[in-house]
Amino acid sequence: MDILFLLVPLSVLLALAVVGLLAWAVWSGQFEDIESEGQRIMLDGEQDAVHPPS
Amino acid sequence: MQVSLNLGCLASGDASAEVVNAAAARLSVFDEPAEWERFSERKRGESAELWESQVLVRGMHCAACSLMLEQALLASPGVVSAKVSAAMQRASVVWSAAHTRPSVWLSAPQASGYSLSPAVDTLASDDLRAQARLALWRWLVAGFCMMQVMMYAFPAYITEPGDITPDIAQLLRMASWVLTLPVLLFSAKPFFANALRDLRQRNISMDLPVALGIVITFAVSSAATFEPQGWWSSEVYFDSLTMFVFFLLTGRWLEQRLRMRTTGALDSLLQRLPDSVERQVPGGEFVRVAARKLQVGDLVRVLPGQAFAADGRIVHGHTHVDEALLTGESRPVARPFGAAVMAGSYNLSAAVHVRVEKLGQHTRYAGIVSLMQQAALEKPRLAQIADRLARPFLWLVLLAAAAAAGYWWPTDPARGVMAAVAVLIVTCPCALSLATPTAMLTAAGQLAKQGVLVRRLQAFEALAHIDTVVFDKTGTLTQARMGLRHTELRPGVSATHVLGLAAKLAQHSLHPLSRAMCEAAVYEAGASKVRSTPSCAAELELRDVTEHAGQGLSAVQDRGEIRLGSATFCGLTSAVFDSQSAENGQAQVGPHVFLSDASGWLARFDFDEIARPEAAAAVKHLQAAGLHVRLLSGDGSAAVQRMAKQLGIAPEHALAQCTPQDKLANLQALQQRGHRVMMVGDGLNDGPVLARADVSVALGDAVPLAQAQSDFIMAGHQLEGLAGLPALARRTLAIVKQNLAWAAVYNALCVPLALMGYLPAWLAGLGMALSSLLVLANAARLARPVLSRAQIEPSRPLKST
Repeated sequence: MDILFLLVPLSVLLALAVVGLLAWAVWSGQFEDIESEGQRIMLDGEQDAVHPPS
Repeated sequence: MQVSLNLGCLASGDASAEVVNAAAARLSVFDEPAEWERFSERKRGESAELWESQVLVRGMHCAACSLMLEQALLASPGVVSAKVSAAMQRASVVWSAAHTRPSVWLSAPQASGYSLSPAVDTLASDDLRAQARLALWRWLVAGFCMMQVMMYAFPAYITEPGDITPDIAQLLRMASWVLTLPVLLFSAKPFFANALRDLRQRNISMDLPVALGIVITFAVSSAATFEPQGWWSSEVYFDSLTMFVFFLLTGRWLEQRLRMRTTGALDSLLQRLPDSVERQVPGGEFVRVAARKLQVGDLVRVLPGQAFAADGRIVHGHTHVDEALLTGESRPVARPFGAAVMAGSYNLSAAVHVRVEKLGQHTRYAGIVSLMQQAALEKPRLAQIADRLARPFLWLVLLAAAAAAGYWWPTDPARGVMAAVAVLIVTCPCALSLATPTAMLTAAGQLAKQGVLVRRLQAFEALAHIDTVVFDKTGTLTQARMGLRHTELRPGVSATHVLGLAAKLAQHSLHPLSRAMCEAAVYEAGASKVRSTPSCAAELELRDVTEHAGQGLSAVQDRGEIRLGSATFCGLTSAVFDSQSAENGQAQVGPHVFLSDASGWLARFDFDEIARPEAAAAVKHLQAAGLHVRLLSGDGSAAVQRMAKQLGIAPEHALAQCTPQDKLANLQALQQRGHRVMMVGDGLNDGPVLARADVSVALGDAVPLAQAQSDFIMAGHQLEGLAGLPALARRTLAIVKQNLAWAAVYNALCVPLALMGYLPAWLAGLGMALSSLLVLANAARLARPVLSRAQIEPSRPLKST
């Protein structure tokens, strides 16, 4: 069971890393506008990904 | 610098002085007098220069805070009065421009932990966004750490003593401790900050018990982790701690969102005006400028989908507009060339050019917004009682927690600690103080959507109990303007020509009948547009237009003098016409106007009052709701009886020829007989009667909004909004009572349970979060519409010929 002495502290570090990741997500505005990203595909935008056959 | 000198006296310690100075520097941009108009309104009728400013408040979590913030603001020199609304997170401050600057009083409360910013759109939304992000971040940290701590705590719950070796158990405890730290130091920081601030103010608020609960739990658990052999209990409660912090934060977060939604009607009103407009420059082109730079007389272009930035008149094009939030009219309204448009309404169908007539604080929109802000700041009686009760209640809670700990400690320290913590966490005076204002503000927001503005929240209480509705007639049940009912013509004259001529003359006068004449002509012109006959009247040149007061108008045209006015003014004897109309069997009620030219009589126009199209339906609906409807009017008996019959009011309840004193006496007589009376008037001539009634409603199109002294104002001319009013008030009061009852029952049940130690801390946290949420959710039910438009069939308008 000695491995626990390594794994438990590691899990703590991992949890802190996830908390840091959440910080990035919140402060870069990932949760600000949840609706419109899903609707973006419905909009006419730049068509550079789709080339009409010429 | 004068600013920092003033602040030096205010702030107590060096650290807080620094905070205040930093805030003052940031806010100094608002010291420019040009900026004041963006968040303030100059108070009229005062000798000194006084401004009233709207302010956003942060750091306010409970009703008790509003009192402290008010005191902090008033302590700043130059501040005349301050009103704070905890529910809206807003404040309204009156200050003297001669004695202070906005940055001074805005930063003064910083020392006590509140941060203020002027309610200017852009700044406020930046502020709100950062605040929302921080709240979300705190909540996520608490949630994630809670899950992880639960993992570490799990083995201790499922194993028998001895299954885990002591060193592993210790390792898991240490891991829990490390992950509890972010929750304690970061997520729970608002609780500590608020509790500390209240302590410094020698005050007590609901964050104090929560903060105490958190500290006690953490201290006991930490002690057990690092010194398991101590005299204290060897149990750890990291899982409970993280869990109730998480639940409390969840509750706060949802509460904030619900609050934003229920007060959303006000916010959507506030964010109506566009930031920039297209203004015509001398060359004739349109250039986009900031809306603040607009001046009266500017010409702006408004495209479909945009909001009008100012009150004005259409000088090019015609369109439809959406005025729903301003008047409650949900259908698009046609606005032809020459028609007035309101700031805050939306242009729907076509691009138009608008000549700006009124700006900023002088628009009708600004009047509506400031009314709603005033109402939101008022504390209804029930809320005041709840606020007063909250403080002794909190002391009681602290004492109870101490008693619980003291009682259990000798026999079972673990139970003692947890009972005390549960008592601290579970009590919720917040539900008590939120109960009344949230319900009433939600109802007010709902009414605003229907075009009814609430001036006094307190009026909901009286409104729920009314049994009689008294209407004033003129301008209330009838439209403010007369309508042209009938035109009698000299044989061989074209009606369009005569009407056009009369209107051309009438537009030089402001007399109500002249204006009615112009409108009738515009209406006719619109109806005959299909035929598109160019009206010859339009080309007529009128010279020397003179208004003869009380008689009429005269002018000279190519074929001699024409006159518009009374029979004698036009040199006619009315006898001829009277006999003529007697033959036609028409009852003469309204006034007549005559038009004559050099060769004599041209036309007679019969005017009449037009009942508001929705009046009959509104009266019928009120009667169906079991209310007595009465009519008091200063007009002649024939007109009043005819109107009463048309609206379905019993003749004996329609009193004619009342002076204002008669109306007042009549109202008092009704009240002495035990009736609760709602008076509906135009707010212009019936001020005293409105003031005496239990509930008063003024129609907002007759007077400037700010001057109407009544509890409710119908911003549109939509009487049908009236019909749902008593029902909504009754529902509001019912919900207030439910909320108060719930808050009382919740506390009465949970505190004893917690005292006896039956309530674990995490459950206490959940209960407290839910109890506040339930109050808000209950209030949110009011946001559902009571009465849809389809339920009231508008009667046909009285048709004019």
